[in-house]
Amino acid sequence: MKFVNAKSAAEALSALSAAGGKGMLIAGGTDVMVDIEAGKHNPEMLVDVTAAKDMLGIRIEGDEIVIGAATTLTDISTNPIIKKYYPSLSKGSGVVGSHLIRNLGTLTGNVVTAQPAADAAMAVAPLDPTFVILSADGTTTTKKMGEMYAGFGKSTLDTSKELVKEIRLAIPADDEKASFVRLELRKSLSLPMLNCAAMAKVVDGKVVWARITMAPVGVGPVRATQAEEWLAGKELSLENMAEAGRMALLDAKPRSNPLRGSKEYREHALPILVRRALEGIAKQLGLPYEA
Amino acid sequence: MERINFTLNGKFVSVDIADPGMRLVDLLRNQLGLTGTKIGCYLGECGACTVIFNGRAVTSCLVPAMRADGAVIQTIEGVADGEKLHPIQEEFISKGAIQCGFCTPGFIMSAKALLDEYPNPPVEQVKSSLGGNICRCTGYVKIEEAVLAAAERMQKGE
Repeated sequence: MKFVNAKSAAEALSALSAAGGKGMLIAGGTDVMVDIEAGKHNPEMLVDVTAAKDMLGIRIEGDEIVIGAATTLTDISTNPIIKKYYPSLSKGSGVVGSHLIRNLGTLTGNVVTAQPAADAAMAVAPLDPTFVILSADGTTTTKKMGEMYAGFGKSTLDTSKELVKEIRLAIPADDEKASFVRLELRKSLSLPMLNCAAMAKVVDGKVVWARITMAPVGVGPVRATQAEEWLAGKELSLENMAEAGRMALLDAKPRSNPLRGSKEYREHALPILVRRALEGIAKQLGLPYEA
Repeated sequence: MERINFTLNGKFVSVDIADPGMRLVDLLRNQLGLTGTKIGCYLGECGACTVIFNGRAVTSCLVPAMRADGAVIQTIEGVADGEKLHPIQEEFISKGAIQCGFCTPGFIMSAKALLDEYPNPPVEQVKSSLGGNICRCTGYVKIEEAVLAAAERMQKGE
């Protein structure tokens, strides 16, 4: 096997190109290294982008926040720009795996490994992120969150010839807030039993639009579209938030997992989690929802 | 054969890597003889192999050895000053935060990375920073106490 420490996205792409489809991109490696050990991958070349300067860091560009794809989860969760505009993403990025894993792993990796309940991927899902993808053939394309998932543990990204260079998020307006909640057995080193994230625009106490995502209840982050549509135009009252939580079940297909809760338990807990995610938005907007 | 250069416990090292797929933990233990870094799970879930890589505590079983090129790495062997133990090591001993000791190097590296960056962390941050290290002997209370006691001593300049 060959190993390339790419210093830029272009260098990574040219190495992948040279490998002729038998190379594989690696960022944190917290999943890739385990999968290689388990024999799931057998690349002839690993192209490491953790030192690719143009894929690192978080910056504001115009009305967007740009997160370099090789930026670690620790750097995202502690970043002042992320904390200011999207505290929910700071929270979600700050609960993946453990501190040791977050010091290596990336938000992009959390999406590309396409696990059904990845916390950082879930937290970014309702923020309507744009993934900027560079290909070895020189093209640049973009994908939205829903276009990143091909199935359980399967991304639409082909890491033998493509890479995500950065993730772009719109800077939210003052009346747009997001939240992230998680139900877990222990705080560290545990996958969530359920997680849920939401973002909404609320004007004069009424929801203009809402995006609610939940997992693991399908492939990747699943949108509660019926609850979202129902909430539009309504007040973010406790009653409405609870009803939206109940409606979320219409789009969710939780399964039984011997380690992480039964289908029945998850169906009971999911509406509560969705309500809590919406409450998180109401709290940030200072809405007196308990009245 | 690929040659990489890095700083290990304050010293410049240059090593030839025969297998570019090798993990950092195997490079440290098998090629450089630094067996203080332990292998528990080899999956990034136990923290026994924790080292400080460019200032951050990481599980060295998940880091490709080749990534070490140009890096600054500290292992448990680089924590004491000759025969003089580091305050974190001394507090682990005095607080009874060690039993079998297998997880201890990993805990100490996580604690050191934390205190190097945050000299006076609140207990919640101590818990979160040690959250990737598993101990099956002592429980975690004595370990937390040891880290907090070390933080206090280190702030006094020890």
